[in-house]
Amino acid sequence: MSVDHVLTTCPYCGTGCNFFLQVVDNRLVGIVPCKTDEISLGRLCVKGYNAHAFVHHPDRLKHPLVKDGGHMRQASWDEAYDKIVAEIKRIRDKHGPDSVIVLASAKCTNEENYLFQKLARAAIGTNNVDHCARLCHASTVTGLLTSFGSGAMTNTIPEFGDADCVLVTGSNTLEAHPLIGARIMHAMDKGAKVIVVDPRDTPLSRIAFLSLSQKPGTDIAWINGMINVIVQEGLVDDDFVKARTTDFDKVKDLVRAYTPGKVEEITGIPKEKLMAAARAYATSPKAMIAYAMGVTQHSNGTNIVKALANLAMVAGHLGKESTGVNPLRGQCNVQGACDAGGLPNLYPGYQRVDDPAAKDKFEKAWGVALQDKPGRTLTCAMKDAMIGKIKAMVIFGENVMLSDPDLTHVEQALKELEFLAVADIFMSETAQMADVVLPAACYAEKEGTFTNTDRAVRLLRKAVDAPGEARPDWQIACELGRRLGSKGFDFSSPSEIMDEMANLTPIYGGISFDRIDKELLRWPCPAKDHPGTRILHTQKFTKGLGTFSPVEHAPPAEVPSEEYPLILTTGRNLFHYHTGTMTRRSPMLERLSPEPYVEVNNSDAKAHGISEDDRVSVSTRRGTITLKARVTDRIIPGSIFIPFHYAEAPANRLTNAALDPIANIPELKVCAAKIEKA
Amino acid sequence: MVEEHGNVAPIMIPKGKEIGKVRIDVPYQVVTVLANLYPWLSKGKIAVVTRRCDEKAFAEYFKRDLMDKSRIVMIGLACGKDQIARCRCTDPVPSKVHLGEPNKGVEKDDLAEKLGKMPPAERLDFWVAQYRKCNKCFGCTITCPVCFCDDCVLEDRTFVAEKGIPPGMAFHMVRTMHMADKCIECGECERACPAEIPLLTMRKMLAKDMKELYNFTSGDEKIVSPLNTTLDGEPMEDECHEC
Repeated sequence: MSVDHVLTTCPYCGTGCNFFLQVVDNRLVGIVPCKTDEISLGRLCVKGYNAHAFVHHPDRLKHPLVKDGGHMRQASWDEAYDKIVAEIKRIRDKHGPDSVIVLASAKCTNEENYLFQKLARAAIGTNNVDHCARLCHASTVTGLLTSFGSGAMTNTIPEFGDADCVLVTGSNTLEAHPLIGARIMHAMDKGAKVIVVDPRDTPLSRIAFLSLSQKPGTDIAWINGMINVIVQEGLVDDDFVKARTTDFDKVKDLVRAYTPGKVEEITGIPKEKLMAAARAYATSPKAMIAYAMGVTQHSNGTNIVKALANLAMVAGHLGKESTGVNPLRGQCNVQGACDAGGLPNLYPGYQRVDDPAAKDKFEKAWGVALQDKPGRTLTCAMKDAMIGKIKAMVIFGENVMLSDPDLTHVEQALKELEFLAVADIFMSETAQMADVVLPAACYAEKEGTFTNTDRAVRLLRKAVDAPGEARPDWQIACELGRRLGSKGFDFSSPSEIMDEMANLTPIYGGISFDRIDKELLRWPCPAKDHPGTRILHTQKFTKGLGTFSPVEHAPPAEVPSEEYPLILTTGRNLFHYHTGTMTRRSPMLERLSPEPYVEVNNSDAKAHGISEDDRVSVSTRRGTITLKARVTDRIIPGSIFIPFHYAEAPANRLTNAALDPIANIPELKVCAAKIEKA
Repeated sequence: MVEEHGNVAPIMIPKGKEIGKVRIDVPYQVVTVLANLYPWLSKGKIAVVTRRCDEKAFAEYFKRDLMDKSRIVMIGLACGKDQIARCRCTDPVPSKVHLGEPNKGVEKDDLAEKLGKMPPAERLDFWVAQYRKCNKCFGCTITCPVCFCDDCVLEDRTFVAEKGIPPGMAFHMVRTMHMADKCIECGECERACPAEIPLLTMRKMLAKDMKELYNFTSGDEKIVSPLNTTLDGEPMEDECHEC
């Protein structure tokens, strides 16, 4: 009998808590928090405590499957690989390499994502590689790259505990990033002023110093309004603005029109509250901004992110302890999947594919000619599939059939494809549509690294064997690369892959498995003797001077109408994670939140004759779903909220695929809807 | 506990194997760690480094026949002064000390004293404000060494509606009362609480009531729970071994 406690990293949100998996004879029996972990402090959320529960689930995929006459049948790995390689070659030869796209995964490791993009770029010959960061923080990457030169959290998770003020917007932190929410509460216990701006009443907003409810889709108005108050009341950090930034005048002129009265008109936030919030933020010595998808998932998401960057620069809250602009990344490795180059326009470490020097470097390292034209984004690829420009998709661990906007459209797009291969741990809604399905190993069954939301590169350590014939994704990517006739896919361990990635990626230059086995390192970590970087932009911004970008309020792509009078917004709850493939197979989590629901304000419910627990149907221009009503005062009148975890009532049947023009992120947070008793 | 990967980890090792660099300064609740493993460990003796609180937790298991006493070998660990202060521990010395020097416990819990002097309404306000920080992680339950029911009453919709976060006072009151005759005041719930709700103080105040009202102290195999006995001294039928 063997008993082990294997230290590893949580597979759920981007906080990156470490814990021990308790293993008895190759079986997970429990989870013990790691008391010496700097991030989690020996605490977990309910998802973390149940992170072992889905691993041995009988639904796990155990053998490769091939579609044969409309039915899936078991196949050998050889047959599955041969089929994928033959189809990719056939389609590439006929339609060119850009007719193929590889979807990387925010649930796979850095090493795996590095291989996925290498597979697309070096083995298939296209920059068509993207992943679900497109749906969550694409606008953070584009927005903060413009403002600061780096699209990641400027500060770290532990610093929240020492802030004097935390401005939280578009983030239900306690439910979606519970251990970061806990840090914010520690600050609150020490007297910090917490300001929450959200159309929903969240567990954090209910105990906050100030809670502001804006109409969904009016964020730039209140942010510009706050900047205006700061300017009018002489609270600008002039020294910082003068020494560290450029183009302030443009913003100063623009925000003058955003008077508290006008902002109230647009957003519904009372002017006194807006002014109080602006004062509290600007005058606190250490003030942090935290935000998530309530900011990014808009058709002007990039501009909202830039507006937040403007706000932080005006107040000089950057480059110091417990300050900064902090996007909270939603998945265990969405930060890392971006870092590792799982994006159509960027090589690993945010090196542009259209930069000749970067292209030259990767061509030399990989020994192939590369394209300098950025590839297609995930959201555009779906549109391209509809018109026959994308013919084949290879998807690693993503469930686009639940996570993407306007699912009816996604389903049609996938059906239009000539070939679809999916590697996953369960038979997801997407895998069901595939021609070949490959069984993958989950986080507890492999080695690798995740990069959490505060840029810390954290190890996964193998605790148990994968079920049946399932294999880690890095082995699958290596095998596909080799069989496509490409060199440079002969890795024998994830550690070797990281060494290659570190060699080509300056911000990861000093990262190696040996080092992170014992130390917590955050990128940028350019050299083997570099201690990593906690706070970004301390002396100067990554791009030199911070850039103020004047951005105007614009209404969402779809506004309420007579037929669709309500605003639908979507999000997560505490108990489930994304499309629920893992959490909904975890018994305790499923018991705690077993069914889909729509939150409706008391007054709207009354107007529609809806009572608690009634079955209701919610419709938008794209579809209808039926689910239970939760009548509550936790959402403002005129808006409704649906969590997107539930396949039996998928919120994304309803959502709008209108895209931000720069980031191509869809407007998942706002669309026009109606509700009726079912 | 051993040092590995720059952290301190719980460890269980087979007889005769090298232990590694042992650390006894990080307060993992070893009975909780073992309770997860115990159903899978079908035979043989298990030696456990046991603080006084762990020893008391074992007593609660033995009392209910949830573990086989003859299989557990206790290696008594006397806690250091720092640990005692952090736990506001009144009873830190195990019955047999094999490791560490015995130190005196602390006399009182400052917060409990302060709350005890408050008017009841004010005290209620304090706890309502604290419990509003709860984020329903179930850490207080999952990490508790003496939480051993198969079906958790906190998941029962009759008492705790599924919907809310924070979960409302019923969640906390049910747990507080449910643990009244088991809690050994190890403080693991408080250490595990992301919101830093002073749960140990609540436990200490309740333990005081249990002592005064029923002359009951947990962690002693010989003292039967007052909640488990009938008023006229007759044994209960179908006695539940979990509560």
